[in-house]
Amino acid sequence: MKRGDRGRPVSVEALPFILPVLLFMLFLVALPVIGTLINSLFRDVPFLAKRFMGLGNFVRLFKDPGFRESLLFTVLFVLISVSLEMVLGTLFALTMNEESRLTPLLRVAILLPWVIPVAVGARIWQLIYNYDYGLLNSIIVLFGGNPVNWLGSPGLALFSVILADVWKTTPFVALIVLTGLKAIPEEVYEQAKIDGTNLFNRFFLITFPILRPVFTVALLFRTIDALRVFDVIYVLTGGGPGGSTTSISLFAYRYFLLGDFGLGSASSVILFLIALSLSVIYLKAARFKEAIT
Amino acid sequence: MNENRTKKILISVSSIFILLFSLSPLLWMLAVSFSDNIDFLRSGRYLITLSNYLDIVRLRNLHFTDYMRNSMIIATVTSLIVVTMGLFAAYAVTRMSFPRRELFVMGILAVSMFPQISIVGYLFKLMSSIGLINTYPALVVPYVAWTTPVVLWLLTSYLAGIPRELDEAALVDGASRSRALLSVIFPVAAPGVFSAILIAFILSYNEFMFALMLTNDFRARTIPVGIALFQGLHGEIPWGYIMAGAALASLPVVFIALFFQRYITEGLTRGAVKG
Repeated sequence: MKRGDRGRPVSVEALPFILPVLLFMLFLVALPVIGTLINSLFRDVPFLAKRFMGLGNFVRLFKDPGFRESLLFTVLFVLISVSLEMVLGTLFALTMNEESRLTPLLRVAILLPWVIPVAVGARIWQLIYNYDYGLLNSIIVLFGGNPVNWLGSPGLALFSVILADVWKTTPFVALIVLTGLKAIPEEVYEQAKIDGTNLFNRFFLITFPILRPVFTVALLFRTIDALRVFDVIYVLTGGGPGGSTTSISLFAYRYFLLGDFGLGSASSVILFLIALSLSVIYLKAARFKEAIT
Repeated sequence: MNENRTKKILISVSSIFILLFSLSPLLWMLAVSFSDNIDFLRSGRYLITLSNYLDIVRLRNLHFTDYMRNSMIIATVTSLIVVTMGLFAAYAVTRMSFPRRELFVMGILAVSMFPQISIVGYLFKLMSSIGLINTYPALVVPYVAWTTPVVLWLLTSYLAGIPRELDEAALVDGASRSRALLSVIFPVAAPGVFSAILIAFILSYNEFMFALMLTNDFRARTIPVGIALFQGLHGEIPWGYIMAGAALASLPVVFIALFFQRYITEGLTRGAVKG
């Protein structure tokens, strides 16, 4: 009951304002997360009695080559796609920061991949990669090359999935970095121009250090988001060929689909813990706290 | 070479690259959707037709219109509920003090980082046990929870920018807190509220995993899942239909992006860039 701004206890007054949000969070997020944590400690499959397993599910997962493969895929996917998104997104932002006749068009064009549902975008990419009449193979054949099996071989499938994800999420990075760029006062560059620093040095010596916090936030946000990748893979490869593009989310989903809630929950708990630890860093880096106090 | 000229050339090249990169998949989608044959790039024969569009709308057993209707209803209802709740909570966060206020905000923000897979299994059991699987509430209720963090954050940062003197004047005049919010703050915050509604709409319109797990046919299935699982009636993959469906499915959100681009950009970047 402290800090009542007009000297009276206001927490009771605030309760009805926050109660709906609180209840939704409690019953549809907190409770399910706790439920998943508990389930991860049990054998919970159809037609068999539920049985406490301790950490048995986790031990089983780490012994399972399929799970290790999906862990490795997820890490690779995050590393490559997020790096590409950061570099491309920064390039996009630097371009859009220079006013030209194309700027208004760019601002809309860049939003489109982001607003279209991932599953819909993935379907489009699926046809772009199609072996017989896809856009890519048609162009290759037109120039006398041999068609490529974009989604059918493990290495290429990884690349194809990443490209589709980069298409979808680069706009987000670009917009965040652009907002940061707009906040840099022009004078900062004036001095550097007088000193005769060139375009590239100006970016690495001036822009980059100033924008470091913005990059950190974009990087963490994208990393956490990329860790839970599901839709684009579900549609494009279904996790194949041979499990080579199965993300942890997809791995867990398959167990849920089979009705095995113990192993499904255990796999999602592992992903949850990775995301949670990153988000603690994220919330600190983004300085949300300063903004509300 | 002159630096300004180098820069101009770089910017033009890069602008064209961005346009090609962002738009070519969409142009490809449109090209296929309006074509009467799929291999037009190889055969060189392109005949414009509307039949793909007409078919997916007319053939009731493809359920395309059902998926669209479900999505529009679910996303609209979700965004209205979540923004109403979020507005009251954001008002409390910025204008009133209550114990553990920071924990409240940070806790909810942390939720937005959770992988969906970590609750979908539990939600499936919950919704099955109360018989809600394959109904609108089975999606609306989790969607409201799922979009709350973004909406709350957007509105909180928007309301924090509105001078406190505004509603305090109303309070001194004897208005209640909710009256001050609705008649004084709301009109000033309208652009922020609008942007929150659009973002919540886009997020719930696009959601995939919950919809995949918690619905099982046209009665509640949403358009992203509908498009993802789209099967032809005769075996082979009907790419013409799928691309026409993808184009129509994209219409509502593309419309939002075209006409309300500023609100979306504002909503997306607010919060990420602070201080």
